[in-house]
Order: sequence, then structure tokens, then C-alpha cells
Amino acid sequence: MIPVRRWLPFAILVALLGGAAVVHIQRNLDAEMTVFHVEAQELYLTSGDWVKRLSLGYHGLLACLYWTRAVQHFGRQRLAHGEYRLLYPLLDITTTLDPELILAYRFGAVFLTEEPPSGPGRPELAIKLLEKGLQQNPAYWRFWYDIGFVYYRGFKDYQKASEAFYQGSEYPGAAPWMRIMAAKVAAEGGTRQTARALWQELYNSTDDPTIRASAELHLLGLRIDDEIEFLQAKVDHYIHVTRKVPSRWEDLFAAGLLPGRPLDPMGRPYRLKYDGTVLLDPQSRIFTSKLGWRE
Amino acid sequence: MQRVAAIALNTFREAVRDRVLYNLIVFALLLIGTAILFGEISIGIQTLILINLGLAAITFFGLAIAIFIGIGLVYKELDKRTLYALLSKPVRRYEFILGKFGGLALTLLINTAFMTAGFFLALYYVKRSFDAGDPPILVAIYFIFLQLLLATALALLFSCFSSPVLSAAFTLGLFLVGSFAADLKDLADALEAPWLEGVMRAIYYAVPNFSNFNVITAVAHGHSVPATLFWSNTAYAAVYITLVLLASMLIFQNRNLK
Repeated sequence: MIPVRRWLPFAILVALLGGAAVVHIQRNLDAEMTVFHVEAQELYLTSGDWVKRLSLGYHGLLACLYWTRAVQHFGRQRLAHGEYRLLYPLLDITTTLDPELILAYRFGAVFLTEEPPSGPGRPELAIKLLEKGLQQNPAYWRFWYDIGFVYYRGFKDYQKASEAFYQGSEYPGAAPWMRIMAAKVAAEGGTRQTARALWQELYNSTDDPTIRASAELHLLGLRIDDEIEFLQAKVDHYIHVTRKVPSRWEDLFAAGLLPGRPLDPMGRPYRLKYDGTVLLDPQSRIFTSKLGWRE
Repeated sequence: MQRVAAIALNTFREAVRDRVLYNLIVFALLLIGTAILFGEISIGIQTLILINLGLAAITFFGLAIAIFIGIGLVYKELDKRTLYALLSKPVRRYEFILGKFGGLALTLLINTAFMTAGFFLALYYVKRSFDAGDPPILVAIYFIFLQLLLATALALLFSCFSSPVLSAAFTLGLFLVGSFAADLKDLADALEAPWLEGVMRAIYYAVPNFSNFNVITAVAHGHSVPATLFWSNTAYAAVYITLVLLASMLIFQNRNLK
């Protein structure tokens, strides 16, 4: 038997050299294979029922994997401003595999409703998914909140949104604010205050950090809308009084209309265009709810 | 009974000597890795995936042990000729079969118990507490253990008259067919020819219905398991395992060992 101290240094050296060679070759291969690499944009099994049959009874586990794939697909397409082609089929398979996976219906509907390029902008599919959720979990009143939310945000159909909130409020155990929401949406339609109430409720209804962050961002967008509206009113007032378009914010605080340079919630100053329009700084990492992404 | 216990204990010791319990390390790493990974790449399913994957892993690790040790229980003794030494002592053939089954059942029990402990540790790590939805998970694990006993009995049966490779193929095949049992019944219902429907129904009742024991998705959502299902599954497993063991004893009793 060869003593360890004789072969060990040699073995370590071989392992290091061999390992380095494998990494080097693989890196070259990665570069060469890029042309052959197409993102897995296909679903080989499109029927949830078939996937369920083939799951050997472990459909709950597969549902988790399909849900993760849906989340990953949404995230990847959002970054690439892609097509979100697989989003609904993935959500459909997920919810067929595990009809009780409530978050797949709820957050899936939020994903589907997001307007392009942040999402596919398919509120009709969101409604379809939520109706499937209601069919499978008829006692879960929060689906009516989600349906109302999609009608409100995706279709801007305030009448239908109000009806959905009202229908949900009729459920035993439904939160009392559902009835208030129904009345508010029916009376005020697409006001910022209603939007704020809806996003706030979405924020409160989940513990998930991703969804909370999304709701928070939308709430921040609404706050920016408020601030821009306020600043625009000040600029318009300045123009009305002086008959001049202000070229800098300093003109407004010289006139006593503003106490200082207005900053957005991220700490960047708002922009004042040459024609007196108030805008968010394009460098700011947030967006207004009204104007869209980084407008 | 003492002789059966002695054979069972030796079978257990042999399994431990074969480092079968090493799979527990892989199991623990898999659970911890999954809990962390899915927390990063998915939304809201950390607990759900942990329960689903944890229980599926207990099943498949256990099944691998049940099949790959079960198929060698008789064959190995024959191959090494240790069986002749054993049977030359006052040990009946049926006692040998019962002892082998008992030994592997004990191995699986210990293995499942450790995996259950690891699983609940991982669950506590993710949830930071236990709640009322957790006890049904123990019932699901009990059902998994029943599945493993059933698979062990089948592997032992095939081991009595076939080679290890074929025994593994037969046992795995029956596990797959048994997992699709509910579909066999659906197929029987859909068939129009009465004789074909009868054949399909006969197959449905003949194959071990492994799908009976799978309540993983339900307990992952915190649903409780009805007491009737608990007792029905226990009775089903007891009767089926008894029948398979009786068949094994009969085959082994009549097997020419010369």
C-alpha cells in the first residue's frame, strides 16, 4: 500500500489541473453553444389533466414546480420585454394540478393583468383563471375581490368591478370593506383614491415580499401622481400670475410658491420641462401609475 | 417467533452495514437546499414545496431501499450459499421469509423515522412554528410507510423465484401500475365491451393500489385525513401484505434449493 503522504499531493494536483481544464473547456463550449441555445419557450405537455395523470399522484409537487416556472417565465419576459406566451398555459396547468393553490390564481391574475411591457395585458385571461379558481374553491370570497380588481384595472369597467366586489361581500365571512369598495368604485370609478384603496388592500392581503413590493411600488406611483399634480398646479398658477413659463424651480420658490426643490420619494428632483410640464426624472428608479414605466 | 426476530435483526444489521442509512444525509441536504432555493426563486410556496417534496422524497428514498434491498433478500443468501447454513439449523422456510420481511421493515421504519425528524426540523426552520395543520402530515407519512411495506413484500415475493434485475423491474412496474390504479378504474368505466370492462376491473382490483396511500397534496394544504381512510388503508395494507407474504412462503417452501 502506498502511504497517503506520497500520493495525496499528486492527487490534489491532478484534481486541480483537471478541474481547471474542465471549467476552461466548458466556458468555451458555453460560448460556442449560444447560437444553439433557445430559451425553453415550449410546453411539451399542454394539458394539465395529462400532466396530472402522469404525476403518479405527486401532482401537488408538480404544481409547485409549474408555479415556479410560471413565476420565472413572468420575471424573465418582464426583464426582456418578451411575449409572456407561456404564462397562461403554465398557470392553467398549475391550477389543474393543484386546484387549491390559491396564490397561483390570485397572483397569476395580477401577472396577467399587468400592462405591456411589464406584463401580457390579458385581463380576460385573468378573469378566466379567477373564475376557474371560484369553481374549484367556491367558498373563497377573495376571488371576487380579485375579479373586481381585474375589471377595475385591466378593463377600467367600474360597473363590473363594483358588481364583483358586491358579489364577494355577500359571502359569509367576507370582509366588510368589500361592500364599501363596491360602493366606492360605483360612485367614484377610476379615481386615484379608489386605486389607492385597492392596492392597499392587495398589500395587506399578502405576506409575500414580491407581491407586497409590487403593491408598494404602485402605491408609490400613486403618490407621485399626487405630487406631480400638486406641482403642476403650482406651475400653472405661476404661469397664470406672471404670464411667463418658469425655466427653473428657483423661479417658483422666488415667487413663494414652493419652499425648495421638489424631490420624488427616491430623493431625485422632479423635472420641469421648458413648456412648464412637470415630470419624473427619467433616472428615477420608480414610475408614476398614470404615465407608465419610467416615462 | 424468536427465530424470526433473530433473522430480522440480522437483516437489519446487514442493511446498516451496507450503509443504507447514508441516504439520510442526501435527504437532509435535499430538504434544506429546496427550502432555501424555492424561497429565492418562487412566490409563496416555500412551505408547500417543502411538504410536497419532503414527503415525495421519503417515499422515493424508502422505495429505493425497499426495492433494492428487498430483491436481494433471498437471492443474496442463495448466491453466497449462507442460506444452506441457515436452513440446516432448526429454522423453517416460512420463518426465514418472515424474518427477512421483518428486518427490512425495521430498516425502513428507522429510516422513515429519521427522515420524518429531519423533515419536521426543516419545516420548523421554514415556518418558525408548528400549527394545527401539521399533525395530518404524520398520517401521510404513516401511509407512506404502509406503501413501503407493500413494496417490500412484493420485492421479497419476486426475489423468491427471480433474479434481482427482473425482481426490481417487476416491483417497480407494479408500483407504477398501482400508482395509476385510479386511471385503470376510469378506463374500465369508459369501455363499452362488458368483457373488456370486466378484465380491466379485475386488473384494477388485483394490482396493489398505491394511489390509495397518497394524501400528500391534501395534507400539504392542511386538510385532515378522515379516520375511516386511516383504518381502511391500514386494513388494505395488512390484508394485501399478508397475501403477498403467504404467496412468498408458498413459493419458497416449494422451491428446489439444490
